[in-house]
Amino acid sequence: MSIDEKVREAAEAITRINGARGSVQSLSSTPGDFHLAIGAALAGNVAMKAITPVPASLPKPMQTPHACCGCLSRRQCLKLISTAAAGLAFSGELFPALARSRKADPDYVDPTRLRPRPRICLDAAILQQPRPYWLGWPGTTYNLDQRQKEYRALLAGSCQRLGIELHEEDKPIETESEFASFLKSVGERKPDGVVVILQHMNCWGWANRLANEAGVPLIVFAPIGTSFTGHVAAISRRTGVYVVSSLEWPAVEEGLRMVRAKRMFEETRVLWIKGQDRNETVLDRLGTKVRAIPRNTFNELFDKMPENEEVRDVASTFRRHAKRVVEPTWQDSLNSARTYTTAKRLMTDEQANAISMDCLGMVSAKVLPTPPCGAWTMFQDMGVTCGCEADLFGATSLMLTSYLLDRPGYMNDPVAETVKNLLIAAHCVSGSRIAGFNQKPAPYILRSHSESGLGVSVQVLWPVGAVVSLIRFQNPNELIIDTGTVVRNIDTPPAGGCRTSVEIKMDNVEDCRDVLGFHQVVTLGNHRRIVEDFCQLYGIKVIHSPEHTARANAA
Amino acid sequence: MRNRPSRQSQPICRARRFCALALLVAVQGRTEVTVTSPGLAPSRMDDRGGLVEDWGTLSVTVSGAGLPATAPVMVQGIRLDDRIPAAQAQSKQGPIALTLTAFRAPVWPAGLDVLTVRLAETAGQETPVQLSLALPEATRLGLKTVSFGGRPVLGLPAGVAVSQATREWGWADDALALPGWATPAVECDPAFRNIRAGMGGVPILYRFKVDPKAKANVVLGFCESFWAQAGQRPVICQVEGAPPQEVDPVARWGQHRPGALLFAASDANGDGMLEVAVLPKPGAADQNPILNAIWLFPAETLLNLDQVIAGKLNAVASRYVQVGGANDQSLAAGGRVEYALTLPARATRELTFLVACPGSSVPQPDQMTWTLEKLRQSAAAVWRDWR
Repeated sequence: MSIDEKVREAAEAITRINGARGSVQSLSSTPGDFHLAIGAALAGNVAMKAITPVPASLPKPMQTPHACCGCLSRRQCLKLISTAAAGLAFSGELFPALARSRKADPDYVDPTRLRPRPRICLDAAILQQPRPYWLGWPGTTYNLDQRQKEYRALLAGSCQRLGIELHEEDKPIETESEFASFLKSVGERKPDGVVVILQHMNCWGWANRLANEAGVPLIVFAPIGTSFTGHVAAISRRTGVYVVSSLEWPAVEEGLRMVRAKRMFEETRVLWIKGQDRNETVLDRLGTKVRAIPRNTFNELFDKMPENEEVRDVASTFRRHAKRVVEPTWQDSLNSARTYTTAKRLMTDEQANAISMDCLGMVSAKVLPTPPCGAWTMFQDMGVTCGCEADLFGATSLMLTSYLLDRPGYMNDPVAETVKNLLIAAHCVSGSRIAGFNQKPAPYILRSHSESGLGVSVQVLWPVGAVVSLIRFQNPNELIIDTGTVVRNIDTPPAGGCRTSVEIKMDNVEDCRDVLGFHQVVTLGNHRRIVEDFCQLYGIKVIHSPEHTARANAA
Repeated sequence: MRNRPSRQSQPICRARRFCALALLVAVQGRTEVTVTSPGLAPSRMDDRGGLVEDWGTLSVTVSGAGLPATAPVMVQGIRLDDRIPAAQAQSKQGPIALTLTAFRAPVWPAGLDVLTVRLAETAGQETPVQLSLALPEATRLGLKTVSFGGRPVLGLPAGVAVSQATREWGWADDALALPGWATPAVECDPAFRNIRAGMGGVPILYRFKVDPKAKANVVLGFCESFWAQAGQRPVICQVEGAPPQEVDPVARWGQHRPGALLFAASDANGDGMLEVAVLPKPGAADQNPILNAIWLFPAETLLNLDQVIAGKLNAVASRYVQVGGANDQSLAAGGRVEYALTLPARATRELTFLVACPGSSVPQPDQMTWTLEKLRQSAAAVWRDWR
């Protein structure tokens, strides 16, 4: 059963439970309507669950009819609207539908619009030699038509999944003049990337020419039977090129993800909230726009944000889904939810897609009653980067896990556990959907922000034994990546520091004190290969922590 | 109803309009134009076409046989791509039309000014010209950039060689002088206290004038004071005419310990310049090469390296350089960058310079991906969305 089918079935069931008039089909004349129906249905479901204790401070919703969806009561409709935002963090692929269903509220900011959606253009061609094939790989028994049909279908499917506009040569290129024409076309169209599928060993010369002359990132898929080691050894290590010599199509799709991620970087405007300056600059290589705005902008807007239904439901949902709530009071949760609505509003007003904020400075200056940790967790789970401490390259590192790996992570303060020789990665913000935006979230405990004792933060419980990657842009030209394994989650107390605190046994780093970087982003899974390939495609230098050597006690 | 001017008065009206227009052009032509990007501190182009930055003024002139020494300059504000505010200075010196166009590129973190110098030959005959960039006297010309007090302030266009006269010896790189950086733990020559460092992997490069094909003993001095463990900053030393040597100063001599390498050098290419370079070892953890001292001795000199390190042979050295220290100097004299160009008939030539604006430094060209096209696209995008 497909996800859509599952969703439809669930929606029908929920609609029946809610007693809403009309079937899903009757509401679903268009795909958009269908999503609306799913949203409505799910919201009803959440509304039913919400019968569980709700703080007395919540006002009763009005019982008057509401125009936005006639099939639901006013109460249900309000729940639908208000739960949508909170649901974003917990509803996986459904959150876009939920968010759309909030259109009735004129002040509502749809968070699904915050994640960048760039136009991505890809040119593609199959390279072959004139038929019939005889001796020489892939050989006369290689079924060219069948393989090419398969690969065209796979490419089209990948592009559709990733929202890439594909401009594919209708016929395989097999002559020098056809290749020259393709090369010229690429030069004129300037796509975001080129994919070539090699169907003969003698096509490598063209692949090399594309690498030299096309001037755009090149993905070469060489199915087994079209290369020897000598063909790929040099070109596969070249900047601007990603070579897949394999039968594994998912590896090719990873290449397309790299192109998409780069375009998402280019499409992103990050709000750099700190100090007094207001300006806008652009990062080299990544192309990300950095709009610096005065720090007070955030707290002044926060002061104006109402404690409305959305805020209450975000707060309620965030608490309800927690494994435990330790310190945060209901008022703390409301404040935290207001930082969420504040950030949404601010990003929308500034046409931005991400935030990097001097949160500690704001807490220190007591201009906010809560750090934004809880809200940042929600955004991370939606694929919207919100980073801590105005660390711009911490934020770009978070973007990389979001845009390339489709999962959140957390930027950490690295601590050496010298007795067990482990790295402790600690911070008060972590996404909970650590296995992917569409996957089940990890359990989390609601805590206060550790250093200040204020507001709402999370301790996300990372799976013990899982492999993690630590990723950090030092600057747009240089990135650190290491991997390790989660040993345990550390509680505070007895530890001090930050709420999400994970012990990691590092791979290929003999001494935990030698782990490079600060605010490296911890993300679930071993992503070393894809991240390194992304860096090669875009000319970013990759650094690993030293395996054996120790750093000096130097100046 | 408004009366039409009489037939007799129409020429007067036209003359008035012409005068007003001429006045407007004249006023525009003598004005200053600011160059900025949203929220960034502005620079300005002065009424002579000089780009005025927080480190000084960059002026561009053209000279050559038969060209007038000066020409009137018209400065005006324009918009590039219908969006980007820019300053433009135009002048015509005989057959050469010179157009300077400057705009602010919003390069993170503080922006960069982009100056395009366009030369056009208008008389239909090939013309040799000297293009000169006048800079503050304290600026120093490197390999790819010009620095001012250690701050790279001007990025030079790739593929065009500068043509100015050079000193007898000096550095010709984009490395950074760090006086007092090293702390030698033993008595040694004072040169070991200073370094030049090739931050970001740029090579350290010196040139010394010698007789063509001359031979010399070259000694390079090192003192590593950052790393305590071996293997972090090995460097490769290339001295003309001698086999290259790789050295890891900590492995060979220890942290804070001065050491020296001897090279039997020669002017192998016979150009009358002896070249000394220190490069990072590819793959090394620290890619910033350093160098503390250079000695050149006559080829026949018998050398005891301990005595060289102690500074006891300075007097017999033909050159003694405290790299990054008191007696160091650049190969080219400061304050000027010159290009000898030949413009074919009716041809145009454009050179683009990146210029540090208030608060910014120019990145090393091989450590960035900015192109003129990307810079303009970024500027247009920022202006488009700025509110």
